Amino acid sequence: MSTLLVWREQMQRFYAKYSIFIRIGFQFCMGFLVFYQINSNIGFMKTASSTACTAGLAAICAFLPTIVMVMAATALVLLHFYTLSLPVAIVAALLFLLMYIFYFRFSSGKAWLVLLTACSFAMDVPFVLPIAAGLLGTPTCIVPAACGTLSYYVIHLVKGSSSTFKAGDGVEMVETLISFTKQTLMNQEMWVMIAAVAACTLLVYSIRTLSVDHAWKFASVGGAVAAVVIAATANVALNLHISLSPLVISGVIGVLVGLLLEVIFLSVDYARTEYLEFEDDEYHYHVKAVPKIGVTVPQKSVKHINERQNTGSIGGKNNRGDNGGQTSSSYGTGYPERPKSADEILLERSLNKELGLDGKSKK
Amino acid sequence: MLDVKRIRLMARMAQYEKNDIRKDMKISTYYKKDYVSLNTLITILWMTAGYGILAALLAVCFMDELMENLTITKVTYLGVGVGGGYFVLLIVYIICANVFYRGRHNRAKQRVRKYYRDLSRLGKMEVKEKKKV
Repeated sequence: MSTLLVWREQMQRFYAKYSIFIRIGFQFCMGFLVFYQINSNIGFMKTASSTACTAGLAAICAFLPTIVMVMAATALVLLHFYTLSLPVAIVAALLFLLMYIFYFRFSSGKAWLVLLTACSFAMDVPFVLPIAAGLLGTPTCIVPAACGTLSYYVIHLVKGSSSTFKAGDGVEMVETLISFTKQTLMNQEMWVMIAAVAACTLLVYSIRTLSVDHAWKFASVGGAVAAVVIAATANVALNLHISLSPLVISGVIGVLVGLLLEVIFLSVDYARTEYLEFEDDEYHYHVKAVPKIGVTVPQKSVKHINERQNTGSIGGKNNRGDNGGQTSSSYGTGYPERPKSADEILLERSLNKELGLDGKSKK
Repeated sequence: MLDVKRIRLMARMAQYEKNDIRKDMKISTYYKKDYVSLNTLITILWMTAGYGILAALLAVCFMDELMENLTITKVTYLGVGVGGGYFVLLIVYIICANVFYRGRHNRAKQRVRKYYRDLSRLGKMEVKEKKKV
């Protein structure tokens, strides 16, 4: 636990230092994931579904607000739908317009939740994001999460039956329009998943805001169980074909993500909880104070030892001592000087005396 | 010597100038009543368009059921239902938009007021410093 907290502190420091680059990098990754998912699932227009286009769009959106990414993703989806069939593109455009009219006009700040919810559905982990949104957000997160679920199922529907939606002329186009609208709006699986996501987010939020110990843990577990139970019950009752194992795995991952988020955003020590009671002129207060767990990151002092310079200086010192201030050829080379034998030293001294190189002869 | 109070004040103001000031200034140029009325009107227009789209999509979706045994009574009921739904939604949206835009205007005004207060405080600090020098 303490290791995790130390990591958290280090991560915070790291984020504080490089927040601009981290945000851009994260936005690029999110953009790439979103555009890649769209292109790999409904890449009907070949030029728009190329890797260069995906990376280019992600790179552009990395420097712009997330609402731009949502608009780019919407445009890309509509472009692919238009390539497949005009009626499908019209119905999808109307659905996206409805989302804008009824929600995003008021709150565009949570637009990224639409993208991430759709991506989490595409990656078979649909309940991770509602749990995270319930823990960190407000109940209004239900709307973008529901919009994301709807978007995913529209794309999923087109991907699954693209051959049937290829419109011809006149009557066929009208038939496609009616058929696609009906299949989209009457998709029971979609409504079940929207209900599960909404219930999960609401339950997580409600439990998380209770003043009980370990509320975040209970909230994560409760939300995951509720979502899986709703999906499984509806699956049986409505005879849908929802695969249960990914839902359970997604619930488990959701709980793990919830625990991780608790460590990151709310690390408190419930064992040291204090209950205070006091009053003023108007109110009587019952306060529950839960202390935070604080850790100090161990400061690492790095001592730079430059072997080359040190050995050189040692050698130099020795040489200076031996030769009376002169530097030998080994000074500063970085290699330790070979110990001299007595004969060599005597020979060197006699030569220095003869040639007048020692200090005494200079004087 | 660095003045911590002044640095804090300047940092807060710079952050506000970077993020919200343009939007808030635009909002605060309106009287509250005008701002709320204008935006509620725009919301009503958008909501009408949205309701129309939703009704059209549902009509397309249930086309066969609607066309089956179509009588004047059925059409009348349908019209009353659609009109009633629109009316209810309209009232809900007017109330919600009113509350939402009123709150937004109040918050923007408060932020702008605080910004101006900070500006005058900063000005006083500078005057004080000049006098000292």
